Amino acid sequence: MKAIQVKQAGGPEALELVDLPIPEPKANEAVVKLAASGVNFIDVYFREGRYKAPMPFVLGQEGAGVVTAVGSAVNSVQNGDRVAWTGLLGSYAEYSAVPADRLVPVPAGVSDQQAAATMLQGMTAHYLSHDTYPLKRGETALVHAAAGGVGLLLVQMAHNIGARVIGTVSTEEKARLARAAGADEIIPYTQTDFEAETKRLTGGKGVDVVYDSVGKTTFEKGLNILRPRGMMVLFGGSSGAVPPFDLIALSQKGSLYVTRPTLAHYIATREELMVRSGAVFGMIAQGKLKLRIEHTYPLSEAQQAHRDLEGRKTTGKLLLIP
Amino acid sequence: MQAIRVQKTGGPEVLELVDLPTPSAKADHALVKVSAAGVNSIDAQFRDGRLHTPLPFIPGQEGSGVVTAVGPQAKVVKVGDRVAWSGTLGSYAEYVVVPEEHLVPVPVSITDEQAAAAMVHGLTAHYLVSDAHKLKPGETALVHSAAGGVGLLLVQMARAIGAHVIATTSSDEKAQLAREAGADEVIVFTRQDFEPEVKRVTGGQGVDVVYDGVGKATFEKNLNVMRRRGMLVLYGMSSGAVPPVDPAKLSEKGSLYMARTTLAHFTATREELLARTSALFAMIADGKLKLRIARKYPLREAALAHRDMEARRVSGKLLLLP
Repeated sequence: MKAIQVKQAGGPEALELVDLPIPEPKANEAVVKLAASGVNFIDVYFREGRYKAPMPFVLGQEGAGVVTAVGSAVNSVQNGDRVAWTGLLGSYAEYSAVPADRLVPVPAGVSDQQAAATMLQGMTAHYLSHDTYPLKRGETALVHAAAGGVGLLLVQMAHNIGARVIGTVSTEEKARLARAAGADEIIPYTQTDFEAETKRLTGGKGVDVVYDSVGKTTFEKGLNILRPRGMMVLFGGSSGAVPPFDLIALSQKGSLYVTRPTLAHYIATREELMVRSGAVFGMIAQGKLKLRIEHTYPLSEAQQAHRDLEGRKTTGKLLLIP
Repeated sequence: MQAIRVQKTGGPEVLELVDLPTPSAKADHALVKVSAAGVNSIDAQFRDGRLHTPLPFIPGQEGSGVVTAVGPQAKVVKVGDRVAWSGTLGSYAEYVVVPEEHLVPVPVSITDEQAAAAMVHGLTAHYLVSDAHKLKPGETALVHSAAGGVGLLLVQMARAIGAHVIATTSSDEKAQLAREAGADEVIVFTRQDFEPEVKRVTGGQGVDVVYDGVGKATFEKNLNVMRRRGMLVLYGMSSGAVPPVDPAKLSEKGSLYMARTTLAHFTATREELLARTSALFAMIADGKLKLRIARKYPLREAALAHRDMEARRVSGKLLLLP
């Protein structure tokens, strides 16, 4: 089968199209013939070696397709089932062997591409707004990178819950997208200080929660715009990792909460994984969550997909179609 | 009037008994004849300069007494009212002026000494289990310094809620107090490392919440004994301030939550203050919450009280009686 492999860390050129045998499932695994694979920033971190994996490895953490073989101990899926998964390497390929307890069913109202496009970012937006800080109607959330992959989904979910959403974006085009997704207020942070503007927009009170995937350049100021006992949810670091912070500042700024969640801890049990993926797929099937698939690429153009992703010009999801 | 005054910061010896004019109540303040002043570790932080306030000053944040005069704009208290307060400096004296918004009524079912002993520690314990992390029946809480002022109240309140309590203390005598307060497990940390013990007692799962007033000495281990998505509430730093925290650790250790809290943010409105004190005084009056008044000192022995407190000789509340 064709697959994209990384043999040594590097830039997009580190992605090699190779021929590999179709995997055989271990007792607890199923083999999935991929219909689509999601391209994510975490793929870039693995490719660059920022996150480590034994080389050579097949890149990609998100996929959807059909089960073609099951291991001897597998009861939860059977051949022909439409499934999707995230969190395990190997989706930039025609086939992938995945532990069966990590596979979720894809319902009829959701296409393969939609499933591959939302497993990671959709479940992330879901856990952030429903569990990490369960948003309530009438609350105010600040969402950084509101037109980003997770951002656009998070803005929609927050809006559907009935929260007021303040989104920060870098361009006019992204402002338009974030507004269309349901953001009530937009702060173009390259022109306006989001701290001063958020204080103005909230009458000095601050927001209930900050969802921050940007990190280094936004964290400190984010603490200043939270209402007393509000929460800083740091879930990414696109501008760089947040350096160690002083706890006294948290108490002085309002007895604030800080958390730095990762998806894995919100789909740790099969039950949770099923509930969460089910919720996201349900929103898509009901038309409550709109996805933008910006571009699809054949496996052979994985390098271009990474170049496009890193160029930060894309605002929708990129998919590899084997 | 007699009062304890700090002219320069330093050890307990800087607490001098002096004669000062009785202050007068202006604006919306009230003059209170102090029945009892509570001694708190924050008093030592002001005394030795770790916390700043202009010199000279009268220490003491907490007390109870009777209103003897009110300022012209006072609306909620009148002469003769039995009151208690926390958060205003000056209770180590025969009289103190307190803004009326800090004064709460003391019911007939509570003595002056109980009221003075309960304010800071009791309100702290109350906000910790009711709001900072709202403790639920069946949850497991780790309470450090469980025989301390806040600790003994925290253990009782947690048990009243129906949570399981794992307590840490520094000696067998204190362990006995923690057990009497209701702790299910007590770890004498001077003999036993609490990290493996908490893991053992929770079957490897970890606790739902850690209530920690210790700070530096327990921080790292606290992160290791929490369950996935557990909460660390840091409400004090008796062993010293925690060094700056790398947020990546929070995600690594299970997408943990952390809060660094102070009482002021949980009694920010009069409504909240009164709701908390009513609940607290009712628990004491009903006999459901036992206050341990360890020792009472005449005002002139304030320095001895501080020495006893800092030597950690006492388990329970210290009071100064003018």
